[in-house]
Amino acid sequence: MKALVAILKREFFSYFVSPLAYVILTAFLLVSGTVFVLLVNALNAPETSSTAMMSLYFTNVFQWIFLMIVSSVISMRLLSEERKSGSIESLLTAPVSEATVVTGKFIGAWCFFLFLFLPTLVYPLLLARVSRIDAGPVLSGYLGIALIGALFISAGTFASALTKNQIVAAILAFAIVLGSFLVGIFRDVLPSANLRDALSYLSILEHMDDFSRGIVDTRRLVYVGSTVTFFLFLATRALEVNKGK
Amino acid sequence: MLEVQNLAKSFYGAAAVDGVSFRVEDGEILGFLGPNGAGKTTTMRMITGFLPPTAGTVTLAGLDVLARPLEAKRHLGYLPETLALYPEMRVREYMTYRAELCGVPRRETKARVDEAIGKCFVDDVATKPIGNLSKGYRQRVGLAAALVHKPRVLVLDEPTVGLDPRQIVKVRELIRDLKKDHTILLSTHILPEVELVCDRILIIDKGKIVAQGTSETLRQEMSQHPGLVVVLKGEISEADAALHQIPGVTHAARIGAAGETRVLIESAHGADLREAVFREVTARGWTLLELTPRQASLEDVFVRLVAKEEAAPETDSEAKSRERATTVEVPKFTEDPS
Repeated sequence: MKALVAILKREFFSYFVSPLAYVILTAFLLVSGTVFVLLVNALNAPETSSTAMMSLYFTNVFQWIFLMIVSSVISMRLLSEERKSGSIESLLTAPVSEATVVTGKFIGAWCFFLFLFLPTLVYPLLLARVSRIDAGPVLSGYLGIALIGALFISAGTFASALTKNQIVAAILAFAIVLGSFLVGIFRDVLPSANLRDALSYLSILEHMDDFSRGIVDTRRLVYVGSTVTFFLFLATRALEVNKGK
Repeated sequence: MLEVQNLAKSFYGAAAVDGVSFRVEDGEILGFLGPNGAGKTTTMRMITGFLPPTAGTVTLAGLDVLARPLEAKRHLGYLPETLALYPEMRVREYMTYRAELCGVPRRETKARVDEAIGKCFVDDVATKPIGNLSKGYRQRVGLAAALVHKPRVLVLDEPTVGLDPRQIVKVRELIRDLKKDHTILLSTHILPEVELVCDRILIIDKGKIVAQGTSETLRQEMSQHPGLVVVLKGEISEADAALHQIPGVTHAARIGAAGETRVLIESAHGADLREAVFREVTARGWTLLELTPRQASLEDVFVRLVAKEEAAPETDSEAKSRERATTVEVPKFTEDPS
């Protein structure tokens, strides 16, 4: 447990000593702010409530595709860098298991992902000044972002365990999350209703639609929890096999 | 205590390490010697649990590394051959991180970190980022990190690589000092280092142990060609021919002369030629300045053992041995403690 905390702390703070963190942070605020302003302008009609405004912010497709890129970049170095530089040897000869290393790194990267959203808390506060805002859906919206973020980062952790090349890891992670996102969107063309239902779980927008309306469905929590566990399990196995290569 | 039994590793069917067994007792330094690609690093990686062995067992402080890796690794300090540290971290930060990683209790962390930093003389760079340090400092930070949780067994893969001669002497002293509290397995390709630091030597070649013992026993075993160095006053061109005539001399060669004659003679095993050489020299009226028995050096032992299979003729291996001796010899000023 102590080792886990040590690993996640190192991982989280290491972002802030590289220029990457600031580039991501700036780009994210730029995109996120632009989306917010466009939505405010588009919906600047008296009948639209501010809560609905935040809901649109949470389910915006461009924002999500951008988040996929961001999460792939955040997670690409987690294990591939350690393997490329060889520091994985020092790390894994310390009394820690591969699972602890993978979990610690995942949580560290996830914390950084959450950190990105800290400045966006200004948006609901801004809206609250000009109009009445319902706190429930906003909070559940952020919960949704945190969960989907965990999903993205876990896929990225797995991709990073597969290769020593960070760029390859980033592209692979992006392919995994974008692929499942697209399947979720285009599942309507499928003939079988059962299959469509099953694949609806892949649809991030559907998850976020619920969360942004204030619905916290346990099925969605279980879905995210089990998928994250699955990806981390795969990453651990991949690390066990690849570490010495 | 560290025990290795029938350890083997093959990569894609080719054996890199083939049935290696040895034991390092508490308070002992075992030197692990071998040419490049002999399997030293692979063996060390298996000992540390980083590489799973194809066969065999490793027992670290009484714990099986394969069966109970987490508990066993608690007693292990490891300095890898290709030392990679996190360049963005500051030295003290990294040491604290390692201490936490290795389960040092929170109350003791600061004291242990300070102790390790002091022991490895990296105090003066403690607040610098590791990426800005020279190779020598980085190597010592790696060593300090291996010590911070006071492991019972230390595995050091070429600990003096990249250090300047003064630092080498200091690190060697440090390693000898660490012997009190740790069992140490040390690999190196610097032959004098093994003799200076290690209690026992193990030579490995092509994945197999080819010899083990103290440096004295290894030398005795291998000194099949005892020799004498004879130094005569003045330049005497026929000296080597004359000395070669002495019964028992198998080989005599002049090895450089500047105002004097220096002849290296070799004899069959066991023959003591000193008296015969003295009589021959006085009978010819030459002045004998020096008569030194030449001991087989560890280089000779190493080259003989390792080059044996290459089927090189003796004179060739002799030449290689001299060549080796000049390339691996540490400059004289290293012994200067300042």
